[in-house]
Amino acid sequence: MNGKSCCGDIETAGDKMTGFHEIEERLKSEAFRLLQAGEVSVVLAYGKGTDERHPVPFAALTTADVENIVFNEHCTHNMARYLLRYPSGTKIAVALKGVDSRAVVVLIQEGKINRDNLVILGIPTNSMRNQQNGQIIDARTTCGIANPVLFDILLGEEVHEATVASPYDVLAPYEAMDEDARWNFWKTELDRCIRCYACRKACPMCYCDPCFIDVTKPRWANKSPQLAGNLMYHLTRFQHLAGRCVDCGECSRVCPVAIPLYLFHKKVAKDCEEMFQQTAGMRIEDKPVIVDFRVEDSDKILE
Amino acid sequence: MDFEPKILGIACNWCTYTGADLAGTTRLKYPQNLRVIRVMCTSRINPSFIIRAFQLGADGVLIGGCHPGDCHYNTGNLYARRRLAVTKKILNFAGLEAKRLRVEWISASEGNKFAEVVREFTAQIRNLGPQTKFKISP
Repeated sequence: MNGKSCCGDIETAGDKMTGFHEIEERLKSEAFRLLQAGEVSVVLAYGKGTDERHPVPFAALTTADVENIVFNEHCTHNMARYLLRYPSGTKIAVALKGVDSRAVVVLIQEGKINRDNLVILGIPTNSMRNQQNGQIIDARTTCGIANPVLFDILLGEEVHEATVASPYDVLAPYEAMDEDARWNFWKTELDRCIRCYACRKACPMCYCDPCFIDVTKPRWANKSPQLAGNLMYHLTRFQHLAGRCVDCGECSRVCPVAIPLYLFHKKVAKDCEEMFQQTAGMRIEDKPVIVDFRVEDSDKILE
Repeated sequence: MDFEPKILGIACNWCTYTGADLAGTTRLKYPQNLRVIRVMCTSRINPSFIIRAFQLGADGVLIGGCHPGDCHYNTGNLYARRRLAVTKKILNFAGLEAKRLRVEWISASEGNKFAEVVREFTAQIRNLGPQTKFKISP
């Protein structure tokens, strides 16, 4: 192995990291084994897209499908979003990167999925790249953790970095703005929203049926993409995801008009960590912060 | 034309609403800008109510409930405290002036406190001026 994967060079921050090619081989081998033994009915992973830079989500149902599985630095989709779309009780194997596994922890905490029905194929990596612009995906646009927090089989060496950036550093310029400047920023960004709901579709935690925005009694907002409705939709969504969003950044990556939703979700996550001393999706035993309380919660959080 | 704030009040039935009633029966003077909606508990409050209120032209929103530990339903206001804290952070980050939303714990016997909070809050909102950011213009 000369360190060059079939999909391009991998930048390693410090320690040796398992190459994407090797991860792909192991992923295919595990998928084949699980499907052949009948341990799972579906393997959720990634498949070939139109080219190397655009892999797609892929569900392998038979051993013949396994051939189509790929893994490279552009496999950015959070496969946890598909888990709830299968009938309850389906045995599913799913390929999860670090942050994706946190989403599964939240789903288990919320009682939406049974741990026993999952075979988690964990992928440790810190070298993912944005499909649109090829940039490295790091703590500036996502939670930044490289290693899955939950897994059955690890498909590569755990990544150990010398320094781990805080996922909230990127908020500093926005927190420093005065209120009017922040309003102008968000007003401009949210005005672009076309209410395609790709953000909702891409989010593993947006599983409500019906979603509040689709309800007519009460009707929270009109369907047309005007600022007032966009605000109601997004601000309410930030509230509904408080303490649940794991900062995977998918919502922002799928947005057709590039609204930096991840900034707001990071801000809410940061505030929830400070107010309630708990991080979303880290331990199965935790209760999501908004469905929990402590009598000793401080009134200072309301200031 | 002097600006008269429109303030939405959401008060829990068992504590704040009763406290407001006490303020009335004891003939305490407080500004008339507050329009009160009664809910049975602050945990009934959907954060989207608050966004809606600002969109419909509210200049301020004042929420009153039982003191934590004294909720008529034991734990309602404990959930509400967390939920509304998040709402405040969201409105603040979106750029709406944080002072326009206020949450107070006012018990049934605190008629004086109710009047005082309303006086203080109305004055603050009057200083902040009309809320224009979220308000939907026809």
